[in-house]
Order: sequence, then structure tokens, then C-alpha cells
Amino acid sequence: MLLSPTQRVLRAFAAWAVVALFVFPIYYWITVAFKVEREIFSLPPKVFQFTPSWKSFEEVFGVSLGFENGLEVIPGGGNFYMTPRLVDSIVVAFFSTILAVAIAVLAAYALSRMRIKGQHHFVFWILSTRMMPPVAVAIPMFFIYKNFGLLDTHVGIILIHALMNLPLAVLLLKSFFDDIPTEIDEAALIDGASRFLIFRKIVLPMAMGGVAATAVLCFIFSWTEFLFVLTLTQTSLKTVPVVSSTFVTSTGTAWGNMAALGTAAMLPAFVFILLVQKNLVRGLTLGSLKQ
Amino acid sequence: MASLSLKAPRVFISDRPLPWLLPLILILVVFALYPFFYNIYLSLHEFVPRKRELVFVGVENWANLFQDGRMWGSLWVTLLYTGICLAIQLVLGMVIALLIDSDDPGFGILRGLLTLTLVIPPAITGMMFLLMEDAQFGVITYFLESLGFLTEGSILGSSDTALMGVMLADIWQWTPFMVLIFVAGLRALPPDPFESAMIDGASSWQIFRRLTLPMMSKVIAIAVLIRGIDLFRTFDYVYVMTSGGPGTSTYTLSLYAWQQTFSFIKWGYGATISLFALFVILIAANIFVSLTKTRW
Repeated sequence: MLLSPTQRVLRAFAAWAVVALFVFPIYYWITVAFKVEREIFSLPPKVFQFTPSWKSFEEVFGVSLGFENGLEVIPGGGNFYMTPRLVDSIVVAFFSTILAVAIAVLAAYALSRMRIKGQHHFVFWILSTRMMPPVAVAIPMFFIYKNFGLLDTHVGIILIHALMNLPLAVLLLKSFFDDIPTEIDEAALIDGASRFLIFRKIVLPMAMGGVAATAVLCFIFSWTEFLFVLTLTQTSLKTVPVVSSTFVTSTGTAWGNMAALGTAAMLPAFVFILLVQKNLVRGLTLGSLKQ
Repeated sequence: MASLSLKAPRVFISDRPLPWLLPLILILVVFALYPFFYNIYLSLHEFVPRKRELVFVGVENWANLFQDGRMWGSLWVTLLYTGICLAIQLVLGMVIALLIDSDDPGFGILRGLLTLTLVIPPAITGMMFLLMEDAQFGVITYFLESLGFLTEGSILGSSDTALMGVMLADIWQWTPFMVLIFVAGLRALPPDPFESAMIDGASSWQIFRRLTLPMMSKVIAIAVLIRGIDLFRTFDYVYVMTSGGPGTSTYTLSLYAWQQTFSFIKWGYGATISLFALFVILIAANIFVSLTKTRW
């Protein structure tokens, strides 16, 4: 639609104002990470003027960042020492992503290239596992894991996160494979190449951008998942979203530490999401809308 | 087009899809189908603390479910939550999408900034809003008070407003989801019908109502389906922000099922509620998909 210069300026102004409203809570949360307790609980709330401090980060990561003198930080000590939990999060997200993508990439190629009886029903079955309320999986899984000794283990969480991401990964990868003309496969088949050779040497390399985007989204969804980790772990591991709720204690909530951990957990995800902007909508709609 | 192009005769291609699909089928059977049947098994049993074991109770859990006022209450809360959030996110998402769908300088950055909310763990979003809606020190509370909207009490502390307080976190986090999908949809629209409509002197509203909306119907249907399913399963926000309270004003079906299982050790009944939630969503999603003819 054609707009006059004045209308365009007004539009830009309105757009920036709206986006600022959405960015504000993130900004505010990051300021909380840098505030000392007195400034978190001040009235009126301090939004722009405060004295930044690294104290919360130092306690959460058990390191002295050396920005403040006289602060004694015991490495590996303290109730809020969360580096191991960050490692748990990374390990779970990394391996569940690899597992989900490895399984999905094979299935997606078959769904994209081969004639399968009842394909529509099969795809809908995959999709319907995405509709299951997590609680309807977590409750039986708790008892099944208990019987098989998978409760409170990294393997258990990696498996369940891979399952959770499979519908997304299969459907998304299928949509990327569908973009590659089948004539390429067929020409190679006539030349005597096997399906697996075509997949490995031709189709997979051509779809590498899509595979990377899928992996990034799987990583993020594992990184942010809450209910499965809450239900299926006890003491030996906890991911960042779940451990955040332990900052609420009977003597009060350690908002600064929580915000420091939250900020540290958000920043890598922000970088990741900016890397996949091009394929984001396709990913969010499980491959059904292309940008 | 595809049917007209020359293709290698299918006879030459001996496709055996099973080996390709086997790992997927295996993990779906073990981690989706088996838990589903185990859940049915659980729903026909109940844990008896005195005996420390599961005892077969037949359909007693199911009979109780339909007479449980708290279950119907939490279903109502879940539907209210889903309906209101979906409506607000749809309208707000469309308005913002129309606003930021532009090639003017800076708008690419704006769309990038909006994606940031999507990668924050919902549990941490819940904590963010818990602090911002704090009765004493919350910045949102302060803002509402100074505008005179909130006279006394806190947002999350009163059963009249607690659900709205939780919804605010959801709306903040997921409206950008709608915006991004709608912007992509708007960009994919063909320009010709819009040009002729403008030449014919149609008003902006007429163009939106008669052209944009109908042409976006597939995009809107997919956004509603995905978001609707996620809203119905809501757990994280209520768990960290209110734990269902005050009273039962923010109990969603997922939270109720989880608490019955793990807080009240009613394993069978919790499984029954979670199965009920699963059936509701599968039926609703199937009806929606067939009505809107959404296809993957």
C-alpha cells in the first residue's frame, strides 16, 4: 500500500513503540541480573538508573569476575552455584538434537521420495504425537522410567526430548527435501546409484541448510523444556528452566541470581534464533508454511 | 505441473521405505504408543498407600472424573485461558503484522527483535512476570497503580485477576509467533488483486476484509491450530507463577493432572485426567483440521 512520507514516519514510530513494549521485559530481566538486592526491591522500580554489579553472576557461576573488590567468591561453593546445571542443559539439548535429527533425516527422505501406503495417515500420526499434552506422556513415563532405571538419568531426558522434537524434525526436514527436485534422484537411480548413495551424496548435502535450521530449533525446544525435566529428574541432573524455580525459598526469592542464570541461558538462544531467521516461520509451523 | 513433467518409470525404482522409517517407528512406539497404553492401564488402577501398590479399580476413576467438580473447573479454566489468549494473540498478531510488514529501513531489525521472546524458556518467562507483577515491587503493578487501574491487592494474589496475570505472560511470549507467521503470509500474497482493488477505489478496510483475510485463511488456520494445541496444554506458566491458586482460579487441566499424580499420589486418577485432556485435544484438533481442510 502506498503511504505518504508522514504516514511512513508515523508507521515507523508506532512499529518501534510496539516492539519496544515486547523487548522491555527482556531488558528489565537483564537489569535485575545486574542489580543488587536493594535496587531490585526499590520503589518506584528502577528501570534505567542503577549501579551495575556482577555479584549475581559471580555467585551463579562460582567465579570471581574481578569487577568488584572485596567480594569473596568460593569457586564451586554456595547455594546458587549453577554451572553444573548449565552443563546438564547443554548435554541434554546437544545429544537429544543429534538423536532427533539423525532419526528424522532418514524418515523424512523416505516420506519425501518414496511411495508409502497410507502416507497421509502416517504423517498425521506423527503430527498427533505433537498434540499430546506433555503431562499425558510424563505421568506414564515416570513409572516406565522407574521400572527401567532411566529416572533421573541424562539418557532418559535425552530420549524423551528427542521424542518430543521428532514430529517437528520429520515434518520440517520433509519440507526441505520436497524443495529439491525429484528428477535429480531419478536421474541418479537410472544410472544405477542406490537410494542410500543418492541420499548421502546428493540430497543430504543439498538440504544441509535445512538440516542446520532443524537442529537449531530442536536444540532450542530442548533448552526451554520444563515439564519432562521436572517430572523425570530428581537430584543427579536439572536443566536451567527447572532449576530456576529452586531460587524461590522460604526466606525469599533470589531474584538477582535467578535473573543472572536466566540471562546466561537466554543469550545463546538469542544468537541461535537470529541464525535461523530465514527458516523460522517454516520451523514454527512444522514445515507447512514457507517464507 | 508435476504430473505433466517427464519422470522415470516407477518400475525401475525398487523402494523399500521400511528401513528408512524403522528408527522413527521404533521410537514412536516405545515413547509414544507404549506410554499411551500404560496410561490406560494406570487409569484403571489406583495406588493404595496402605498396601503400597496399584490396585485394579475398573472404571471407578473414569466415573469419578465426570463427577469431579474440580476437574470441570480446571477444564473451564483451560478453555477460558485457551480461548482468550488465542483471540488476543490472533487480533494483536494481525494488527502488528500489518504494522511491521514493510521494506522501509529498520523493519527487518524489528522483526528480528520480535523473535527473541520465542526462545525464552516459558518457566523463566513465568518468573519474569512473577517479579514484574509482584504486589509491592513489580514494575507492571506500579504502572497499573499509577494509572489508577489497580487500586488494592495484587494481580496474582486475587482470584479475579490471577488468570489474567498468567495470560499476560503467555500473550507477551507468543503474540510474536503469530506476527511472524502472518508477516510471512502477507509477503506471499500476490500483488495483482490488491492493485486492481485500489484502482477500483476500495477502502483499506474493504481490501483487508475482502482480500487479505480470505487469502490468508490457510495461514491463519495453521497458526490457530498450532497455538491452540499449545495453549490447551499450558503448564509451565501456571506452575511457576501461581501453582493453580489463589483457590483453584488458575488450575489448568495439565496442572491438575500433574498435582493429582505427584502431590496427592493419586497415580491412577492423575493418569485418567491426563488421558481425558489428550482425548479432548485430539477430538478438537481433528474437527478443526477437517473443517478447515488444513493439510501438511
